[in-house]
Order: sequence, then C-alpha cells, then structure tokens
Amino acid sequence: MGRQYEIPIGAQHISLLEPLHFKFTTENEKIVATEANVYYVHRGIEQACCSKFKFRQVSFVVGRVCGLCSISHTTAYSQVAEKLLKIEIPLRAKYLRMLVIELDRIHSHLLCLSHVAENSGFEALFMKTMQYREFSMELLEAVCGNRIQYDFSIVGGVARDLKPQVAQSILERLKKFIPQLDELMDIYKNNWTLSLKNKGAGAITKEDAMRLNVVGPFARAAGLAIDVRNETEDLLPWKEVGFEMITETSGDVYARNMVRLRELYVSIRIIENIINGLPESALITETKAFPDGEATVRLEAPRGELFYYAKGNKTQILERLKIKAPTFSNVAAMAEAFTGNEYGSAPAIIASYDPCLSCTAR
Amino acid sequence: MNLASYRKKSPWILHYNAGGCNGCDIEILACLGPKYDIERFGMINTGNPKQSDILLVTGPVTKRSRERLVEIYAQMPEPKVVVSCGACACTGGVFRGMYNCEGGVDQYIPVDVYVCGCGTRPEQIIDGVVQALGILEQKTKAMEVSVRLQKEPLKEEGQINRRNIADQIKPALS
Ligand code: SF4
Repeated sequence: MGRQYEIPIGAQHISLLEPLHFKFTTENEKIVATEANVYYVHRGIEQACCSKFKFRQVSFVVGRVCGLCSISHTTAYSQVAEKLLKIEIPLRAKYLRMLVIELDRIHSHLLCLSHVAENSGFEALFMKTMQYREFSMELLEAVCGNRIQYDFSIVGGVARDLKPQVAQSILERLKKFIPQLDELMDIYKNNWTLSLKNKGAGAITKEDAMRLNVVGPFARAAGLAIDVRNETEDLLPWKEVGFEMITETSGDVYARNMVRLRELYVSIRIIENIINGLPESALITETKAFPDGEATVRLEAPRGELFYYAKGNKTQILERLKIKAPTFSNVAAMAEAFTGNEYGSAPAIIASYDPCLSCTAR
Repeated sequence: MNLASYRKKSPWILHYNAGGCNGCDIEILACLGPKYDIERFGMINTGNPKQSDILLVTGPVTKRSRERLVEIYAQMPEPKVVVSCGACACTGGVFRGMYNCEGGVDQYIPVDVYVCGCGTRPEQIIDGVVQALGILEQKTKAMEVSVRLQKEPLKEEGQINRRNIADQIKPALS
C-alpha cells in the first residue's frame, strides 16, 4: 500500500461552473475514496415560497432554482399547483410546454457535452459544441423572449403563444442542425484522443446504479431504463409526440456522451412532431380558486427526474413546497463512480455527471 | 514593455458563483464561446485567483460561500476589478430576504461594475467587462501615481512635497 494523499477540488475551480467541493483520497494517482460536499449554494427558496410569495408568484421564483432547467422547474410547479387548484390546462399549452422543455434539453445537453470536451482537454471541440449550441438559445429567445429564465409556464397554462413565423424558423434551424449534430456525434464517438480520456472513465455498473438510486442520463448510460417521460402520461402526452427510450450499457463517460447525443435526435423529432401537429385552443385556464390539499408531480428534467410536492390550505400562500432535484439523487453515485480512476480524469468525470448544484441545494 | 501594458491588453478573468442559479454562469460561458468570443479582448478564463485581474461574480452570496468570496478577492493581486453579473449579484434580486442569503455582492467586497438583468445577456456582460477594462487602466495609473509622488516635487498649492519633507522636519526637531 502506497502513501495516501488528500487532494481537494473546489469550491472554486476552473473546471467547475458552480461551487462544489470534492475531497479525493488518492494513492499513486488512483482515487480510492471521495467525499462530496455540495451545499454551498443553499438559499432557502422552499421556505421563501411558503412564506413570502403568493402561489402564483412562486412559479417565477422556482425558475430561479436553476438556470439550466428553469422551464422544468416552472412547469413542474405549475403542474403541482394546477393539481391543487383542480383545473385542467388547455391542450395547446401542454404541447407548448413540451416544446420548450425539449428545446431546453437540447441546450442543456450540448452545454454538458461541451463541458466534458473542455475538461478532457479538447478545447477545440468545446468551441465547436458551444457554437452549435447557440442556435438553441436563439430559438428559445424567439419562443419565450429570454435566453435563459424563460418564465414560460405559469399556473394555468403558458405565458406566450408560438407565432407561425417562429415555428417555421424552428423547423428550418433544426434541419440545419441535424448535419451539425451528425458531425458532433462522429467526433464524440470516433475521436481517438477523446476516447482515451472518456472510455472506461467514471464507470458505474447497472447494479450499482440501481442500488444508489441514479436517475437521468447517468442511469440510462449504465443501462437502467428510467425516464419519467416513459412512465407518466396524465400531465404531458410524451408518447404521442414520439418519445423513445435511449440506453447504453457501459456506464462510463463515453456512454453518457452517447446517451446525451442520441437523446438530441429524439428531442429534435419530438419538436418537429409538436410543431407539425400543434392543436388550436386557448392558452390559459383562468380560475379564482385557491390551492387546497396535497399533490406531487414528477417531470423529466434534462438531468433526470424532478419531483415536486406541495400542500395548500385555501390561502394565497402555500403551506409546504418540497423540491427534489435530479442531482440530489445522483450525489451518492457521483462519489462512488470516482473510485479506481486516475486523478487526472476527475474533471472530465465531474463534467459528465452534469451536476446542477443550485438545484440540489436550492 | 512593462507589466502594466500587458495587463491592459490581456486581462484575465476569474469567475465565481456565489449562489446564483447558473443562469448567468452559462451566459458567461457563452461569452467565452465562438459567437460572442471575449477572447478578442485578450481575456481568458482562469481558475487561479493569483493570476487574474477581473473577478466576475454571480449570485446573491449565500452564507456559506461568502468566506470563499472574500478569500478569493483577497488573493487577487492589485489592481483588481470586480464585476457583479446579474440582478441577484447586484441587489439580491429575487433571493433578497431569504434566510440564507445576503443582498448582493457589494455588502462584502467593493464592486466596480454592476451588470443588470435576470439573466444577463452576453452583450451586457461584454459591455460590463469592457467598462471594467477602463477601470482597470485607471486603477493601474492610480497605483503608479503614488510612486511618482515620492519622486517629483509637487507644484500645486496645499500639497506636501514629500521629497524635501525630511529637510523641513529636521531643523524643527533639533
Ligand atoms: S440574476 Fe437571475 S439568472 Fe442570473 S444568477 Fe441570479 S437568478 Fe440566475
């Protein structure tokens, strides 16, 4: 047994977007144990949502839980509030929500992929992916009015309509994007240098993934077919618009890249289906009721299953709001999957988890 | 060429998230990407506070990250400029008054440029950073002035001429 060293990474580090602290115990460059510390950005949103903000305002506040998947948070909250109010939202609003969630998934997955490339030391691929990602930001701006923080879902429906010209431009841009995506797929799949860094790094087995409760692309890369879009039909009709489960088997960084890239094809198809078959109806259901009772909602955010619980007591202010973000489920597996890897590949592995700590800490 | 002139041409950026929602952080990342490309101003993102000149802060400063923020600020060498990105870094924004947050970065460290918006647009961030460049230049000059003061006698009234101050004091003491 060699000497063991403790190497900390974070809370501020170039490869980290957010404050996150890992303490690695290493032995001859190999990581033997990891400690994760994620609660740097706890702000107390849940408490504020139950005391300071009225229930209609909360959908804007929970969007600020996370900037990468803000539409998932606003939509999940709107759905849980609609359950408490016992209203059904118009069909068009459902489809528009799905449209924005999928556009958001494209931008989030591409960001994660570019980050993996950067942390593996492949700066040129980072630039390329960021360049190709820019189209999704422009489309989101055209649809929602802002590049990030869309505030698109509100309680009872959606805030904006999709204009026909915008719909047309989305289809055109997606058509242009598909060859670019093929190109990215080719690089991430076949580039020899990148594969040295990514293949076999940060691997987790299917049994471990099951045992440690992993969700999202992290689980699907290990062969675990879990996706909320596959399970729930009552709130958003995912299967109708062409959802398809993507899984890989090896569970390493490479497999996670592949899952994300292949999910982009599914997202593109879903968006095209939504735009081609968008039903005509109102955008919002008005109601004067107050939230009452308890409800839970699950939704597939780009990083996995997002869970909302809310309890109302017939007043403007909710009694309790609980948010369980996807990364929270993954933290245990994140610490586990480092074991046995070189310390040098740790940044790439961290990026491939796609951790979202402001979701986790709220 | 001395250090100051290099600094003007190529300021290095340090980015710290003090508890924001990542929204502004990904816009900073988008700035580094090819479309907005702040590298044309010579800026690159560095992870080391000791090498950086501009500190980009996002987020409303949670209680746990404030020590790290102050530490990072203290580790940066002079002259340094702080740019607070986003509504929540400027004033606390939507998080103001939540129990684990403070209202903005400027309660802990001096902020030179405020960039508004929730989330900020990349154009705004670039604008803020370019303003910060101007401030960095001023600060560099201000640092040089104090050295020059000791070398040259001052002509204007009311100011102390430091060069001969010892000669003036000496007779008074003896
Ligand atoms: S200003 Fe808005 S978008 Fe930016 S970090 Fe704060 S909450 Fe997020």
